[in-house]
Amino acid sequence: MGDLVLQQLANGLSVGMTYALIALGLTMVFGVLHIVNFAHGEFYMLGGLVTALLTSRAGVPYLACLPAAAILVAAAGWATDRLAVRPVIGRPDGATIVLVATFAAGLIINETVLATLGPAPIRVDGIAGVVKLGPVSLTWQRIFAIVFGILLIAIFQIILRRTEFGRQLRAVAQSDYASRVIGLDVERIKSLTFILAACVAALAGALIAPILSFNAGMGYHTAIHGFVVVVIGTMGSIPGAVICGLGLGLLESVASIFIGQEIASACIYALLIVTLLFRPNGVFSRSA
Amino acid sequence: MMRYLPWIALSAALASVPFLSTYHASLAVYAVVLALFCTSVNIVVGYLGLISFGHAAFLGLGAYTAGLLTVKLGVNYWLAVVLGMLPGAALGALVGFASLRLSGAYFAIATLVVSEILRIVAMNWIDLTRGALGLLVPKPGVGPFGFEGLRFTHSHLIIAILALATVLFLVSRLVASPYGRAWLLLRDQPKLAASVGISGLRYKTLAVAVSGAIAALAGGMLVPKILVLTPDLFSSTLSATGLLGAILGGRATIAGPVLGGAIFAVAPELLRFVEEYRIAVFALLLLAVVRIRPEGLMSLLPRRRRHARHARTQPNDVEIAPRTALADIRVDRLTKSFGGLAAVRDVTFPIPRGQVLGIIGPNGAGKTTCLNLISAFLTPSSGQVTMGERVISDSQPHETARHGIVRTFQHTTLSAGKTVLENVVAATHLLERETLPGALWRGAGFRRREADRLALGWACLDYVGLGERADMEAGSLAYGEQRMLSIAITLATKPHFLLLDEPAAGLNHSEAMAFAALIENLREKGFTVVIVDHNLRMMLRICDRLVVMHHGELLADGDPMEVRNNPEVISAYLGGGPRKQKEAADVEMH
Repeated sequence: MGDLVLQQLANGLSVGMTYALIALGLTMVFGVLHIVNFAHGEFYMLGGLVTALLTSRAGVPYLACLPAAAILVAAAGWATDRLAVRPVIGRPDGATIVLVATFAAGLIINETVLATLGPAPIRVDGIAGVVKLGPVSLTWQRIFAIVFGILLIAIFQIILRRTEFGRQLRAVAQSDYASRVIGLDVERIKSLTFILAACVAALAGALIAPILSFNAGMGYHTAIHGFVVVVIGTMGSIPGAVICGLGLGLLESVASIFIGQEIASACIYALLIVTLLFRPNGVFSRSA
Repeated sequence: MMRYLPWIALSAALASVPFLSTYHASLAVYAVVLALFCTSVNIVVGYLGLISFGHAAFLGLGAYTAGLLTVKLGVNYWLAVVLGMLPGAALGALVGFASLRLSGAYFAIATLVVSEILRIVAMNWIDLTRGALGLLVPKPGVGPFGFEGLRFTHSHLIIAILALATVLFLVSRLVASPYGRAWLLLRDQPKLAASVGISGLRYKTLAVAVSGAIAALAGGMLVPKILVLTPDLFSSTLSATGLLGAILGGRATIAGPVLGGAIFAVAPELLRFVEEYRIAVFALLLLAVVRIRPEGLMSLLPRRRRHARHARTQPNDVEIAPRTALADIRVDRLTKSFGGLAAVRDVTFPIPRGQVLGIIGPNGAGKTTCLNLISAFLTPSSGQVTMGERVISDSQPHETARHGIVRTFQHTTLSAGKTVLENVVAATHLLERETLPGALWRGAGFRRREADRLALGWACLDYVGLGERADMEAGSLAYGEQRMLSIAITLATKPHFLLLDEPAAGLNHSEAMAFAALIENLREKGFTVVIVDHNLRMMLRICDRLVVMHHGELLADGDPMEVRNNPEVISAYLGGGPRKQKEAADVEMH
């Protein structure tokens, strides 16, 4: 029993890393654009899709798929921003309409993929091999997902803290208006943020595809998990997203030993509702 | 002619039923079910302005309740459909309650998650629902609707049409009652709604409960067509379809969602060539609608004069008069801190009835915070505001209006898209209390009370001199007129205490004079007025008493002339040595 729990904890870490990456994008888009992107999960799905198609149909080596996924999904992110976000957020009821617009964009992406490929999962060959660490065995793919995830988060922090773009991004997050006054191209920074978030989601999808295999519905469910993470970890908070993402992965993984995957999800969703009702600004906020 | 249009449409729909093939009748049933569902979504999305991505939760709940009651307990199916509306309404009330704490995206996330939880429950509670296999529901009897020569589908269609007609009839009555006006005001100007005494808790909870019941009815109506209950009834695709239909047809209209629902029922048949891609096409359509025409298809119709001039049938004999206030207000050792900063510190002053009290002070002195505390929009850190024995600083903002205390806002706060008269009538909310059955039944008493509200609205407009502007959109009024409308709105609540936050800011000289005359007239009528303003000359003229605040503290309180000559006040306003400022102040004030 103890071994099983340890094994599930190890597995949960890699899944939790993808939740953290999804939540990172959601929280960043919320922080800078002040919107919740309901299409975000589909970028993750697209990342998995690119990897699945390239490895299984074109025989491209797995590692080469990662940059391809990032670039192609960046294009999808750019298109979504252009068609569904940018034209709507400035309008009087934009805050409401943009929810619907991103939801519609997500639906378009998801249903197109579903209708083209069908609901059957596609197996993705990642990095082969298994490592034994005492009672726990981990595939190299899972280890790669964890390491790559940590690397992404680190790069992210460097971009945010050390680069000109990062400074501009933080300025826009603080005050849209003041950033305009000092002459920043706010629209461009917002678009870049949106695209960057889409890239990170795509990489998360590409990392998880060999572990859980690809299916068209993966984006929807992971997006809900992403919402759980950002709400509990406080919208707009990057440490909150990372910590809660990992925590959720571990919790879900261990809980699924006892109550099954779906019921575990339902319990986590219920936790979200409770959090929303009693601490709507998240656990990481200073005051409720 | 327009009045009879719904009846003609209903008769035509019913009369055409026997001529439909079974295939078309079945399609029509689906159209009616979606019309019901979209109508339900529209109450939340259109009238409350909240986005729901999980309305299938209510539909599925209604369908499962009706189906399970029939299959497990042998209840008559149509009775079970009606009973199935109860859990829908109950879940709706919960979600509505939650909506008070969750705005915008959070509400959307919560609805999405609730429907997902229910889907998982339906999928995994195998003993009850048979999970993904689905639960078969026998075809119900149709009782008196089983006419000679008609198939079951035709009878089902007749029942569904009658259900839809009833729902539309009741919803349109509700929308045209104080309930609908409260919903729209809560959507457009939640603070203004609270200030005129509309309780968000009561009206949002009720609205989502009604919406939940209608969606559950749609679910119950769907089951005899599909005859099997599967967890797909909770699917996000279905939720999306409801949202799409409501927005495509036209939010906050009665006919729009019906149109939208019908389109989404028929479109898949017309879009056969795209087969599996149809949801994607729907979504594309939705994106196009929100981009190009967010008001929906209904806005393409030639506009009937929506704001048809409300004829003044009889000479208006409504008197503008204050309600009797039971006691004076007392501000008692009031303190409000934001973080480490005390915006108001240990402030005490009385507001006796019948007085015009001015609160002045430099920017950042805590005047508006004071007003927010008195009107209960903020809760004090310590101290209290009392009215006789009653502590009003503990109450909710909408409750103070009930005690006769009503405020205006520093930034003009109106429903810009509504007419001037509609703005005032929406504020007559407290005049007489309505009940849900009363608003649905529209008896003689209700109609008389509606006439009273309208008459009061007219009287308030005439009083501030906006009678001629009644049918204009409030947003198109000149700035000064909008400020006057704000005052008319407060008067429509029949207040005693009027709290005006910078009512004369930005008014030109003649407008300020008219405003001063209005305040004097209000005093003569016996209203108590508290004014926060920067225009010292005007304040000295119209106020009986002045309270001066500086850095959150009370600096002076007394007769305007006395306050004006108070050296501390002069120093606060102008800085530097008292004597020099005295001269400067004399120049400034004359």
